[in-house]
Amino acid sequence: MSIRIEDLTFGYKNFLLRVDKLGFLSGRITSIVGPNGAGKTTLLKCIGAILPIKKGMLFIDGKDIALLKSHERARLISYVPQEHGSAFNYLVLDFVLMGRAAYVPLFSVPSKEDVHIAEEALEFVGLGNFAERTYAELSSGERRLVLIARALAQQSDILLLDEPTTFLDPKHERGILDLVRKLALEKEKTILFTLHNLEMAIQYSDDMVFMKGGEVAASGKAAEVFQEPLLEAVYEMEMKVIEWNGRKIVLR
Amino acid sequence: MTGSRRNNKKRFLHVFLLVLPLLLFVISLGIGSYQVSPRDLVRTFFSTISPSSYPDIPPVYRDVLFRIRLPRLLLAMAVGAALSVAGASLQALFKNPLVNEYILGISSGSAFGAALSLVFLGRSFPPQAAAFLFAILAVLAVLLVAGRGESTSLISLLLTGVIVSAFFSALLSLVEFFASPYVLQALFFWLMGSLSLAGWKDLAISLPLVGVGLAILLLYRWRMNVLSMSDEEAKALGVNVRRGKILVIFMATLVTASSTAVVGIIGWVGLIVPHLVRLMMGADNRLVIPLSAATGASFLLVADGITRVVSPLEIPIGIFTSIIGIPLFIVLLKKAKRVWL
Repeated sequence: MSIRIEDLTFGYKNFLLRVDKLGFLSGRITSIVGPNGAGKTTLLKCIGAILPIKKGMLFIDGKDIALLKSHERARLISYVPQEHGSAFNYLVLDFVLMGRAAYVPLFSVPSKEDVHIAEEALEFVGLGNFAERTYAELSSGERRLVLIARALAQQSDILLLDEPTTFLDPKHERGILDLVRKLALEKEKTILFTLHNLEMAIQYSDDMVFMKGGEVAASGKAAEVFQEPLLEAVYEMEMKVIEWNGRKIVLR
Repeated sequence: MTGSRRNNKKRFLHVFLLVLPLLLFVISLGIGSYQVSPRDLVRTFFSTISPSSYPDIPPVYRDVLFRIRLPRLLLAMAVGAALSVAGASLQALFKNPLVNEYILGISSGSAFGAALSLVFLGRSFPPQAAAFLFAILAVLAVLLVAGRGESTSLISLLLTGVIVSAFFSALLSLVEFFASPYVLQALFFWLMGSLSLAGWKDLAISLPLVGVGLAILLLYRWRMNVLSMSDEEAKALGVNVRRGKILVIFMATLVTASSTAVVGIIGWVGLIVPHLVRLMMGADNRLVIPLSAATGASFLLVADGITRVVSPLEIPIGIFTSIIGIPLFIVLLKKAKRVWL
């Protein structure tokens, strides 16, 4: 599914996000990068309609998102938040099962079918044996996987991930990003994520969006936009991009 | 292996907790200051169907059973279930296992409303209406002052709850000031939380209200898992968070106010019972909500039984539950400190 943004604005007290025109193509992986406070997460939350958006700002396959009901929207877009703790220690399966909220009737409980979908999602992220464990006993990396499994159980075509790899060691970082790529290839998801690691961003995404000060600085095919002058302008520091075995490394 | 053993144990506990209140109910029928043997109780029950077959049953047995014990025990069970389910639901909603109807000002609001109604409108007017009205006002006041945002910390909820409760206590004192000495005495016992004043007339209004509220919260139980995540997550998962919050707060307030209007303030049940259930069964509200209802009913039956047996004067049950509940709250608060404050 394709996403189209038109004249999107969203403001906090000392911050304004403004995006005139931006599109995301179906079945591609897009990373949103930029310095802290550039508005990456805010943009992601606006696209997920977690932050209030107004009519005519956001369209999915031509449909205005602001006009959809919560559960209709959740069947199109799922959102993976940053890792978090919960006051209640749910079993991993119960946690993933929450991804079915958009399908379970208001005064009802998940069906066998819902449980089956949740189990499959856990299997897909490689945690098939974790169903009966509790969320609190998981490692940081495992929690990310559970959060991704929950979004997967939501069976939406669009997947938004907010810094899915922060605080992870290089091996687990790669594991998560490989999984994201697998989701795009095997499940044909349209994926957007925010990331700080530029080398991983260029390696794993088809398209990139550079943000600065609440506005889009540049966007397009990753290989084309990822250039030294743009990086230096966005991050306001000296940077050097070198190529090694066909991969781009950023020196800073 | 261990998983299935754990599941077996859980299944056994599940059934046990559901059956327990029925068992306790039958036992409690035989407990009280007027001694009636279990055999005679059963025969008293049948004697209402055909009085001529049981000529040896004195009429006072029927009075004890039907006019005193039965309404009292039914009320104990309904109130126990109501307070526990309200507690568990509010805890999920506020994403915090320490929240309860007492802290949110629901108890003091409904106590003031009921007292106001009793003193100025008389005993013939059902106090449940005013109890509900002021309970809703109290909880709205707490939410408004503490801030409705995502970041509402426990400490600000606690502080606001104390302030709002103090305000309604002051209003309550004002009501007491205007009450006649006779009404004042009744008010005094009622406020400490007592099941002994209950008759069928009070039950006739409160039981249906509690029943409706409990049924809705029970049906909504799985959604409470989702609502216990952050608001942003719940929204992203496709839940209408605003509607969910309004529904749960209204229903929890309804069942609490309907209980308080009849039995006064029986505090801390909504904290103790869900906590026990979660310890045994885990956090999933699909289990926590119905089992809190059953365990809450059991808990109040036991507490009521103890207060009736320990002293012929009948210690008000609200005092009893507070003496158990407050130390538990302090222990939990200590344990939780690093997470929520």
